Amino acid sequence: MKYGVKNINKSYKDLKILDNISIDFEEYKTTCILGESGVGKTTLLNIIAGITDKDTGDIIGFGDEVSSFVFQEDRLIEWKNVKDNISFVLQKKIKKIEIENLIDKYLKLVNLEEYKYFYPKDLSGGMRQRISILRAFIYPSRILIMDEPFKSLDINNKQIVIELFKKLKTVEKKTCILVTHDVEEAITLGDKIVILSNKPTRVNVIIDNSSILDENDENKSKLKKVIEGKMIRNI
Amino acid sequence: MKSYILKNRKLSIISKIYLIIIWILLSQTINNDVIVPSIKSTFISMIELIKDPGFLNIISSTILRTLLGFLISLFLAIILGILSSISKIVHNLMQPILKFLNSVPTIAIIVLALIWLNNEIVPIFVGFLMVFPVLYETVLQSILNIDKNIIQMAYLYRVNKIEIIKNIYIPNIFYNLSTIFNSALGINLKMVIAGEVLAQPKYSIGSKIQLERMYLNTSGVFAWIIIILFISAMFDYMVKALRYLFGINKWK
Repeated sequence: MKYGVKNINKSYKDLKILDNISIDFEEYKTTCILGESGVGKTTLLNIIAGITDKDTGDIIGFGDEVSSFVFQEDRLIEWKNVKDNISFVLQKKIKKIEIENLIDKYLKLVNLEEYKYFYPKDLSGGMRQRISILRAFIYPSRILIMDEPFKSLDINNKQIVIELFKKLKTVEKKTCILVTHDVEEAITLGDKIVILSNKPTRVNVIIDNSSILDENDENKSKLKKVIEGKMIRNI
Repeated sequence: MKSYILKNRKLSIISKIYLIIIWILLSQTINNDVIVPSIKSTFISMIELIKDPGFLNIISSTILRTLLGFLISLFLAIILGILSSISKIVHNLMQPILKFLNSVPTIAIIVLALIWLNNEIVPIFVGFLMVFPVLYETVLQSILNIDKNIIQMAYLYRVNKIEIIKNIYIPNIFYNLSTIFNSALGINLKMVIAGEVLAQPKYSIGSKIQLERMYLNTSGVFAWIIIILFISAMFDYMVKALRYLFGINKWK
């Protein structure tokens, strides 16, 4: 299955936000869309998700596909416990008897089974985002769209949530699109990094990161410097 | 958290003792049972009221009127609140009615109600006048101010509309209503009794208070006030039980 966007343009009144954006999303890989805050990354994601209309261009492969989502905020329902929050999005998609088994299986996999009946108010910010990511992975979809999911987390929680994402990614194969402004996040998680330029937003560089993902910290920090250099030149 | 609750309880008990001390001091200083009756005479009056064969009939009639009026207000507030949130026509039709109820003195409407309505219905109507606008606004605001991010999440995960209404909108409405149930029921009880004082239905606390006033039996009025406080406390426990039953305390 091929997923992508081709020649996407978007303006708000006279202000051009997205200028001829074309990106291919490789199946079962993670594509990181990297750019400074306010360049229109979320707008691009919203166009892909069908929340915002594009002016011109094509969305390829997403039409009939159901997608999972992780947002900047956890978006958990306060009056539902962890189990009910997850099963809320699964009903009508998976048989009722299977839902609980599935939730148990995944909670056990990520060592969160003791939190099954916890309400969101009893969970820390990091824990809430872990449940949000778990919900996205359990949901039967082939695409996972994530909009700066680690933005509101402190450094320790961020590391824990990133590890959870990596673990789930090995178990459940999904084509992931991750929007971020954080270069380190992009290098740690992205098989492909798409760097966006600033106002109007264009695709500046596409970096194949799959060979560097498993490499040592020295090579990663070299790449980080290169990306940061490119981003500074864009501003 | 526990010590905070205990502190509150302590303060509540202290304030009750404080009120009783003021009452004792006032009744001893004035020394006139018609102006401020003593605790003893109030207690004797209360025993007499309770021994009266019609006592249960009187309080159950007032409680029934209060609950019936409250349920009618609640039902109409939910229906009209929902309709107002989805229809601009209903919303705009409701605005002048609410404006009228909020700005015209309640006593003026009560006088009209006394002319137009049966004296059994007037107390219910008076309670409705006060409580309905509060409940209606709560329902409307619960729908309009719902967390849009949660709704968007549900749509993106392709949860159908009925499930969204059942799992997000309705619990949010009932949670917000539950936070004002105590005060709304309290106001309703007070207004129903005020309506009873004016309309004089056959069995009612309000008619009995009016009767005690006519005989200048102030200890009888005080005794009824204490009984009303007990009924009000019973409503408080009822609302707490409902919150417990619906599991609201677990997540808030």
